This record gives sequence, C-alpha cells and structure tokens, in this order.
Amino acid sequence: MTALKILSVLVENKPGTLFRVTHMIRLMRLNIEGLTCGVTNGGDRSRITMTVNGDDATLDFLAKQLSKVIDVYEAQTYSPEEVTARELALIKLNLSSVSHLDDRRLQGARIVETSDRSITIEVIGSPAEIDRFIHRFDSTQILELARTGTTAVPKG
Amino acid sequence: MGVDFMHEISGAQAVVETLRQEHVKYVFGMPGGANLPIYDALLDSGIRHILARHEQSAAHMADAFGRVTGRAGVCMGTSGPGATNLVTGIATAYADSSPVVAITGQVPKAMTGRNAFQETDVIGVMTPITKYSIQPLSAEEIPSGIKKAFYIATSGRPGPVLVDIPKDVQQEVRDIPFPESVEVRGYRPYVEVDPLAVERAAEMLVKAEKPLIMGGGGIRISNAYEPFQAVSELLMAPVITTLQGKGSFPEGHPLCLGPIGMHGRAESNKLVSECDLLMAVGVRFSDRSTGTFSEFCKQAKIIHIDADPSEFNKNKQVDLYIRGDANQVLTKVYNALARRISRRSDSNPWLARIAQVREEMKSIPAYTDYDSELSGPKIVRKMREVLPPQTILTTGVGRHQMWCEIHWRVLKPRTWITSTGLGTMGFGLPAAIGAKVAKPDVPVVDFDGDGSFMMTENSLGTAVDEKIPIVSIIVNDRSLGMVEQWQRLMYNRRFSGVKFGNSPDFVKLAEAYGASAKRVTTLEEFGKALKEGISLDSPAVIDVPVSSEEDVFPFMPPGKSIKETVVGPPKEMAIF
Ligand SMILES: Cc1ncc(C[n+]2csc(CCOP(=O)(O)OP(=O)(O)O)c2C)c(N)n1
Repeated sequence: MTALKILSVLVENKPGTLFRVTHMIRLMRLNIEGLTCGVTNGGDRSRITMTVNGDDATLDFLAKQLSKVIDVYEAQTYSPEEVTARELALIKLNLSSVSHLDDRRLQGARIVETSDRSITIEVIGSPAEIDRFIHRFDSTQILELARTGTTAVPKG
Repeated sequence: MGVDFMHEISGAQAVVETLRQEHVKYVFGMPGGANLPIYDALLDSGIRHILARHEQSAAHMADAFGRVTGRAGVCMGTSGPGATNLVTGIATAYADSSPVVAITGQVPKAMTGRNAFQETDVIGVMTPITKYSIQPLSAEEIPSGIKKAFYIATSGRPGPVLVDIPKDVQQEVRDIPFPESVEVRGYRPYVEVDPLAVERAAEMLVKAEKPLIMGGGGIRISNAYEPFQAVSELLMAPVITTLQGKGSFPEGHPLCLGPIGMHGRAESNKLVSECDLLMAVGVRFSDRSTGTFSEFCKQAKIIHIDADPSEFNKNKQVDLYIRGDANQVLTKVYNALARRISRRSDSNPWLARIAQVREEMKSIPAYTDYDSELSGPKIVRKMREVLPPQTILTTGVGRHQMWCEIHWRVLKPRTWITSTGLGTMGFGLPAAIGAKVAKPDVPVVDFDGDGSFMMTENSLGTAVDEKIPIVSIIVNDRSLGMVEQWQRLMYNRRFSGVKFGNSPDFVKLAEAYGASAKRVTTLEEFGKALKEGISLDSPAVIDVPVSSEEDVFPFMPPGKSIKETVVGPPKEMAIF
C-alpha cells in the first residue's frame, strides 16, 4: 500500500550531495512530490525534506540505503501524522477576480505584492491547509502559483 | 593529528606522493591528455605502472589486486573515453564489494560543462557504481582527497572510490599539506558489536538441532576465516557458501558442503531446506544464491551477520541480525559458545542425515554423467590434481565458471577470484594479471570461456610485455555456452546469437602476442600442459576444445525455488 511519506535526510552541505540522494530515489522509481533543502544550525549541514509516495517496505529500504551514502548523516521516514509539517505558497491572482482586498477568500493570507493587474499573496500552513486555500479560487483566477514543498520536524 | 607540508610541488606530484604514503607499489592504467601530469610524476616515483590495453582491464586488475590483498588496487584513466572505459570494471568491483581507487584526469576547471574535448561528467556517470567520489578543486585538496578515497574504499563494506582530478589542478604548484590521517564526517564503518545479540545468537545456536552455517564474501573481506571455521567446528555445524564466499571455509574440510545457488552443489541446495537454524555471515542473500526468496530456508530460524545494516531484511526476513565486522562478531560468538558448550560430537542425527544426502547425491547425473574425454567437470578436477593448493584461480563468466563453482575446491583463503555480482565476461585474464602482480610467488590461473576471453584478450599484451606469467585456460566451445544452455533448456533449442565461427585460432593468437600456447585433446595432455604452463616465467595459453552441448548441472532455473534444483540433463529432469 502506497501512501505519502516524509523523508528527512541530514547531509553534508557541499556540492553533489543532493545528486547522490535523489539518485537513490530515482533508483527506487519513486516520484518526488515535494522537496525542500536548507542549511541547518552550524551551516555545514543541510536538511533535505522530501515528500514521496511509496509503500513502507520501499521507504524503509530507501532510508537504509540513504544512510549508507557517505555524505548522509541520517535518513528517516515519517508518516504525515508523525511530523509538524509546513509549506509556503505564493499565489498570484488576477486582480479582477478579487473585487476588494477584504475578500473573505484572502483570509489567512498575507498580501506581499500588488500591481495594477495582479495581487500576490503568501500562505503558510500544513500541506492540506495550502491545498484547501488554493481550492478557494478557480484556475482562471490564479495567474501563477509556486509552492515550496514540505519541510518538517518530527513531533515531540 | 599531524600535517606535513611539501613545498613547491605540483598537484600531480602530490598524487604520486600520496600513493606512496598509502604504500601503493603498482598502478594499472592508461595515459591520455588529461592525466599526463600524473604520468609524468609517476616516472620518478618508484611506483610501477602496468600498462593495460583497455581501461576496463586496468580496473579488473586493480579489483583482483584488492581481492587478493585486501588493500585497495589502483587504476587510472584519462578523461572522457578513458574514464568511461573504466565503467564496467568499476561496476564489477562495486557489485562484489572490492576495494579499488580509480584516479581519472578531467578537463581543466575553466572548461567544465562546455563539452570540452574528452569531457565526460564521470562523477555523474559513476555515482551509482562507486562507494564515493571525490573531485579535488585545488592541489591542496589532493592528499586529503586521495587518503579519504583509500580509507573509504577499504573500510566497512569495501568498494570502489573515484578521484577525478582536473588537469589544471594537477599542474598547480603549491605548498601542499599531507595530513597523517583523515576523517570522514558522518561515516561510521565500524560499530560496537551488540553484546546482547551475540548472547542471543549463541543461545539459538546451542539450541539448534540442525544448524547450518553460510559464508559469503564478507568472510574474505574481514579475514574472518579462523573464527568462522572455529565456530563451525565447535558446533559441528556444516558449512555452505555463496559463490563469492566459495573458499571462506576450506573446501576439503569434512564439514564443508560447498556453494548453494543457481549452480550450487546439490547437497547444499538440498540441505539448506532441512536445517532448523541458518547462520549467514557476510552474505546478501542474492537471488542467484537463494532462488525465490520466500521459499528459501523458510523452515529455519535465520541469524544474519553483516557489516552493512542495509542488508538486513532486504531480501530475506531474518530472526536475528548482528551488525559488525565478521571477524569481530564471529570471535565474540565463538567465545559466547565456548562458555556454554565444548566441542560437539561428530555423531548425531543431523550429521548422519548430511552423510546420507552426500551419499545419495554422489550418483546424480550432474556429478557422474558426461561422455566426452574433455568435459568441464573432468577438466576442473584434473586442474585441482595438478595445481598446488595455494594457486589462485580466476574465471570468466559462463558455464566454465559454474563448473568451477561445483567441482573446483578452494583450499586456501583469497585464492578464488570471480565476478559474481555483476557477472562480467572478460574479468578472468586481467584479474589473473592483477592477482599475479599481488602474489608473484604463487601460480595464477585464469580458467576462461572463449567468449569471455575474447572480451579482454588483448591483456595478453600486458602480460607478455610486463612479464607477468599467468596461465589462461580457454574452455573453447565456440559458443556462448551458458546462453546456449538457456536457449536449449528454456527456448526450445532456438539458438540465437550464440555460435562463434572458427575465429580466432587461440594458439596463433597467443603466439602472436608472444605467449606460449598449446591446444590439447586429452585430459592427460591437458594436465601436462598445465604443469608446464605454471612452471614458465612467461604467460601461457591452453586451448581446450570442448563440445558446446554439455550443459552445466545442478541448475536451479531462474525464477524457481532452491527446492526445484535440477540435478541432471533434461532427459532425466531429475529434481530432488
Ligand atoms: C559483458 C557480458 N556480456 C554478456 C553477458 C551474458 N552472458 C553470460 S554467460 C555468457 C556466455 C559466456 O560464454 P563463454 O565465456 O564462452 O563461457 P561458456 O559459457 O561457454 O563457458 C554470456 C554472453 C555477460 N555475463 N557479460
């Protein structure tokens, strides 16, 4: 049974590491639904957080294989309930589709840029919240959309 | 941790100096534009360069050197085609966890990514088939980079490591630091052995009534021969091996049953389904060894000992696993056992059953039924009669290799050198050269198929020019015999793309290279030619024409379980 899983990989912050990690994911024929990467405290390590769809056995095996990669410190898989997950989306809306700036659909978002034809808003939340937010608009109203992908830390 | 500086030396000199510090005496390779500075520096280094005729062969030589010595073999190639030619050899070493350091030249940094002449992204190409890769971007990074390569290649579960050095980095002249030792953050090849797991293993082993022990390539890697044998003898537990682990236990020993697998010994394939406990050490439960995973040894409890934790429960669910170096773990297991029991007696129902199966199997067609004077099994047994116990045997890939699996007896550690994980035709001859360079005082024989031999036959040029006296035996069936066998048994005798014509004449070919050569037609002639061959101080080739219709059995057909091993030619279709 496949399900969305969060793969959290702590790596050496240097060229080529992401390539070594994503190569393993390609080898297991998994699709990366989301990927974030940033330096962690200290600056010489990065945390790569990926959302992938796969069965438990494949993902456990993948985590073990990743742990073996020389520049990887640790690799863990989590189910979505086990982590606090956040994602950021930037949504550029057709100005004509939002009549006024206190449109109820904008609740929870922050306006980060406006022009005479568009308005760009920023939303932060769990991946599901972002999904729900995006569904408030129909596709003709959204000019552009960019999501960061999920970043996460385990709960507790 | 000390750091010495060498002043005003080039990156290329730093490469060579680091190799000397790593006690490298031989490198196998081929020069080209992008590694010329290294080759120039090699000339004054005291390190012997052995010129391969193809970089694939250079990699096989380094690989075999690594398997024979346990130290990393070194191969070199230039950028682009030199590097891509290494690929098959590096993948072969990777598949069999063999320590190799490959050093490639790369186009100068400023040309990177511009499709420069002979530019290949060799790190991109080789990442999936190397344990690690390193690209020094300044001459100062060279010594630490190469030292890391050696450390990573030889520690934990060994494997090939690539060092790709841009030409301008080789040419920089700097004050260059040489660290005494290096550290690789986040890489922990060795762990403390879990003492509780050791105690549990000992309990399980003591309780077992029908214990069986299985050895893989990990026994060689960690030099665990002694504790492995000691545990088996203490428990009086018979030993089976994988093909890579063949020789992890002396094959003349009464407790040795021999390899299991697609062309394993019938006794081993049968008894693995009868034991009540299997302790597997340094194995990865590959499909070629086990057949259908779920059917393999499903009646027994399994203990798995390995250095690589990603092997646990990968192909086979086990009851207990212990991570660690096989030598260390087995020593602890031995001590834990010795506290509980003294040497078991050699008469019990399990050993009686073993003896019975051995007796039954003696008469299976696979062991008795071959008509011609020169058939594979007979040649291999003759070879064992003639060659001294310390002889190193390398092989190609095919039926001839499998005849060795079944009939050759490995008597000494590190004398069985064969490509199992990748199954690379062309491995045998260059591997023999690498092995002979490592162990010049023992006979080294390449037992090859004609198809395999032809893939790297130009290595004869290396053997002759460099005066490396190996013997190649060509089991010459004018066919890709193993494939022919599959087509005969599984494709209704529709032979597609397997038959060679009469080219070449291997005797003339060998002589053209300056090797001595003989064609033999009887077993006796073969024995004589072999004895003579190993006494020469120059390379020799023995051409042994055989029928292509004698297939190799036992045979566990692909996709079948080990219980469906066929022990004779199809007219019998005798299964256990
Ligand atoms: C490089 C490579 N190409 C193809 C194969 C597939 N293959 C496996 S065995 C074999 C035939 C080997 O023939 P030969 O070396 O003459 O040995 P024989 O089986 O006749 O003893 C082939 C083509 C392989 N293992 N390696």
